Amino acid sequence: MTWISKSVTGLGLLFLAHACYSAYEHSALHSTSTASLSSTAAHTAITSTSSSLPIDISIETLVAVFTVCLGLVLGTPELRPIQWRVWAGQIEREGEAGFTNIDGQVDKDYVGNPFRVLESRPGFVDIRKQRKEFAEWVREGGGIDEAKKS
Amino acid sequence: MTSSLLHPPAHLPPNVALQLSQQAPTLLQSTPSAISPYSLSSLWSAAESAELWMTYENLMLSCLRTGDEQSAHQCLERLTARFGADNERLMALRGLFQEAVATDDAALKQVLEEYDTILKKDSSNIPITKRRIALLKSLKKTTEAITALNQFLDSSPSDAEAWAELADLYASQGMYPQSIFALEEVLLITPYAWNIHARLGEILYMAAISGEAGSEKYLAESIRRFCRSIELCDDYLRGYYGLKLTTARLLTGRSQPSRQAKSDSALATPDSKTLERLNETATAKLSEIVRRSVAGEAGWEGFTKSEVIAAKALLETDAVKISR
Repeated sequence: MTWISKSVTGLGLLFLAHACYSAYEHSALHSTSTASLSSTAAHTAITSTSSSLPIDISIETLVAVFTVCLGLVLGTPELRPIQWRVWAGQIEREGEAGFTNIDGQVDKDYVGNPFRVLESRPGFVDIRKQRKEFAEWVREGGGIDEAKKS
Repeated sequence: MTSSLLHPPAHLPPNVALQLSQQAPTLLQSTPSAISPYSLSSLWSAAESAELWMTYENLMLSCLRTGDEQSAHQCLERLTARFGADNERLMALRGLFQEAVATDDAALKQVLEEYDTILKKDSSNIPITKRRIALLKSLKKTTEAITALNQFLDSSPSDAEAWAELADLYASQGMYPQSIFALEEVLLITPYAWNIHARLGEILYMAAISGEAGSEKYLAESIRRFCRSIELCDDYLRGYYGLKLTTARLLTGRSQPSRQAKSDSALATPDSKTLERLNETATAKLSEIVRRSVAGEAGWEGFTKSEVIAAKALLETDAVKISR
């Protein structure tokens, strides 16, 4: 998905650069060719002809801009759900896996269930109980399993 | 993994806590021990970020839990160097550290006295007030903790965390009506908290099976709470579990010949047909969740293992009943 959007954007930028370069070349060529005629032609005529570009350059510019827009739109990340129950359900059902980006990292603003603090309550944490539970977990061999795995 | 260091680690399972605290030495080495406010590098990058201090705080909690007191002390010292020793949050953290390293009850009493002297000087110190209540609870002085918590809630009634703690304390004492009241207060502050709706449903169910008067009314209210939690959160395992339990209980109560007269409250209990349909929906959803979660389908890995096992056990006992 991402390489498609990147290549489309790159193509669009290439077109845009090409269109700009063509426009510049056209105006430069036009000014030199009109400079030799400036003695005979009227001044007003020069300004009106130099301001108009050939139609193919205009079309190329427009196509390039639309291609860039298309590429950027294709590259947007998946939209977040706007319904509360869908969003909450995604948190409960998918956990961290639902909020990882392409690089495999969890989104920075992912907090899980934001109301979980009402049940874990960090302000009232009973550190002695937690230590006891952890020591028990280690005694039961939980730590050894983990060491073997890693 | 550092993302989980940005959130309070109280709910994490022990293996994750161990993993986090094992990162401590490298993390403490890789970050500078002191951050000077004016340095050359602050021209092109932020010298410090809020995340760094959050990381220190949560790292300290994880380290204290796993017994790595050295790293915890280092975190505490760095935080103190940055925010000063009379910062309210740091006072609470230091108290927490002293609680954790205390070896006997006498040392804990001393910590408690320290809290009291701090609160005498400044009674509006919220983190210390909370720590004092937590320490009272840890010392098994539950009644004193409840009294202190009620006093605290008189002065700051919009603290959802404190209301939730009060509800838990009351529930641990078997005082269900008070616990229900406290949880309803939590819901006034955070009306969309689906886990608190489910928790309230659980407490109501506990009140109903503890044999208090008006158990049918409690059960009906419990069903409503579980339904609301499901309404707020798709595929909420805890909500469906509770819904199945409560509807099954109410249905078995109904089938007995000694049927109670209809309650005269404004919210009457739902009729049997609705209950049966609710029960069927809950069973179907639970079996779907268990099936997909056990199979490890993509997008269904977020459920806690123990909860899935419990749901499976509930479904199996139900199946045994039917086959009989």
